[in-house]
Amino acid sequence: MASVRLQGLRKRFGTHDVIPSLDLEINDHEFMVFVGPSGCGKSTLLRIIAGLEPITEGDLFIGDRRVNDLTPAQRDIAMVFQDYALYPHMTVYQNMAFGLEMRHAAKADIETRVLAAARMLEIEPLLKRRPRDLSGGQRQRVAMGRAVVRDPQVFLFDEPLSNLDAQLRGQVRGEIKALSQRLQTTMVFVTHDQVEAMTMADRIVVLRGGVIQQVGTPEQIYSTPANRFVAGFIGSPSMNFLPVTLEAGGARLEDGTLLPVLTTRRGPAVLGIRPEHFEPAGEGGLAAQILLVEPLGADTLVHFNVGAVRCIARVAPDTRPQMGETLRLGVAPGKAFLFDPESGVRLG
Amino acid sequence: MNKRILHILVVAQLVVVALGILFPIVWMVMSSLKSSADVTAYPPSFLFKPTLENYTHLLETTPFFAYARNSLIESGASTILGLALGIPAAYAASVTRSSWPALVTLSARMAPGTLFLVPWYVVFKALGLVGTYAALILTQAAITLPIVIWVLLPAFDAIPRSILEAALVDGCGVLRSLWRVALPLVSSGLVIATILGFVFSWNYFLFALVLSDEGTKPLVVAAFNYIGEGSTDWGGLMAAATLIALPPLVLAIAVQRWLVAGLTLGAVKG
Repeated sequence: MASVRLQGLRKRFGTHDVIPSLDLEINDHEFMVFVGPSGCGKSTLLRIIAGLEPITEGDLFIGDRRVNDLTPAQRDIAMVFQDYALYPHMTVYQNMAFGLEMRHAAKADIETRVLAAARMLEIEPLLKRRPRDLSGGQRQRVAMGRAVVRDPQVFLFDEPLSNLDAQLRGQVRGEIKALSQRLQTTMVFVTHDQVEAMTMADRIVVLRGGVIQQVGTPEQIYSTPANRFVAGFIGSPSMNFLPVTLEAGGARLEDGTLLPVLTTRRGPAVLGIRPEHFEPAGEGGLAAQILLVEPLGADTLVHFNVGAVRCIARVAPDTRPQMGETLRLGVAPGKAFLFDPESGVRLG
Repeated sequence: MNKRILHILVVAQLVVVALGILFPIVWMVMSSLKSSADVTAYPPSFLFKPTLENYTHLLETTPFFAYARNSLIESGASTILGLALGIPAAYAASVTRSSWPALVTLSARMAPGTLFLVPWYVVFKALGLVGTYAALILTQAAITLPIVIWVLLPAFDAIPRSILEAALVDGCGVLRSLWRVALPLVSSGLVIATILGFVFSWNYFLFALVLSDEGTKPLVVAAFNYIGEGSTDWGGLMAAATLIALPPLVLAIAVQRWLVAGLTLGAVKG
């Protein structure tokens, strides 16, 4: 078990800086999730930790060891790949035993560890099969088993759920979380899916263009996003953003509506409201002319326009407005976010 | 109706191609079974009394098996040498995504043999190696190496990178990832590379013609002796040619399913 520390880390492909300069500390036993849109550098960062990509500048420590110049094999890490990367010519048992064999573990020890991992992941009946005879979910477990038997210092996961169907994804997500709690090993998990990030992480790193936007617990990221990008990326459906002018009574929308927002600031800003933070208002609030209603069972999503901006509100399931109808919506007290219109930074 | 015409055309085309390929082979085998009178008869006779006299004469009057052993040693060793150099070369070219080494070997293969022959002859003469197995094995490796690289390169390219990376994470060095992971995954390509390398080397005439002596002469060069200045023993030549062609033919037939799969390896993913 070990912490992972990245200091002044830079990664350049040709003349393009994929990661300009990055500092991050992942604590021992921590489940850290890297999240961000495609091309944000999250997979590159994981591959750098694994030793599959060389570092252009900066230092990488696993525990107390500087590992910049160590091969993947010397770093004592295990990785679960997006496509599982099982060895097609080996049985499940051989796939799981391979890493131990390469480290010259005793045969009896290999058998004990493979069987223990197989039991834990409930893949014992599959040990003699080859990967081509397994379903997607089974391959996923074998890939995890291959990592688990090694008992490495750090587990790395590169979008391991993206090839699974929605139902299985939810199930495996829970299993990985349970596994992390059971093994108490440092885990780094890369995903573009913010639901995975929120549900699994001890802490989340939100990345954009190779730059860390925010590091924090899921709760911190959700309730105090550092900037408009983080606020928009985390949460589903996304936060609604409305251009406003801040004045004494609150935030005035472009159509003249004044929404009560607590702030001492004045001047132009962007108002951020999560869909779940809209609430029915009496006479005040904004007039939302309904464009689309999506009943989801547990709640209902209502789409409407505010000026030229398309917004979504999450309302109670028994609220069934008709299309074309106008709802008066306000914002739950203390739940509105304000962002700088230029830099996107959240205003305190 | 259109489908039927298309089918007939396809069959007709295959028959024409097959005839073109098979006719010389059939002609060779028939001639080897003809007496000396029948083999030179004009117009050629297709109905004749087969005889094995060309074969018995060949085996009684020439050290055929000694030549066969030479062919086997030279082709076998040059194939092994080609594999020993070509497998790591193809793997390195594939892993580093650099195609120029493969292009260089291909251009070496496409250049006429005489281009190499003169400098080689000078070098081997100076080293006292003309007429030795070493000279023949080394030169024939120029035939086998490009084949090995060109068959294996697309095969290695078709292996998902993540599998090779998983091997590195699991503790393999580059050589061990090649030996334990990559090579088993290209086994059919390996068989094809071996067979093609062996067959091409077995049939290659020019280098052995100049660089062998009586003790190291392979079958293809020995068969050349039947073509004389004054007269040619066509029956004997055809018997020798039939026996020479036999091992590659048997090999090709034995692995024809792999052969087709191997030659299209990497062409279609999946």
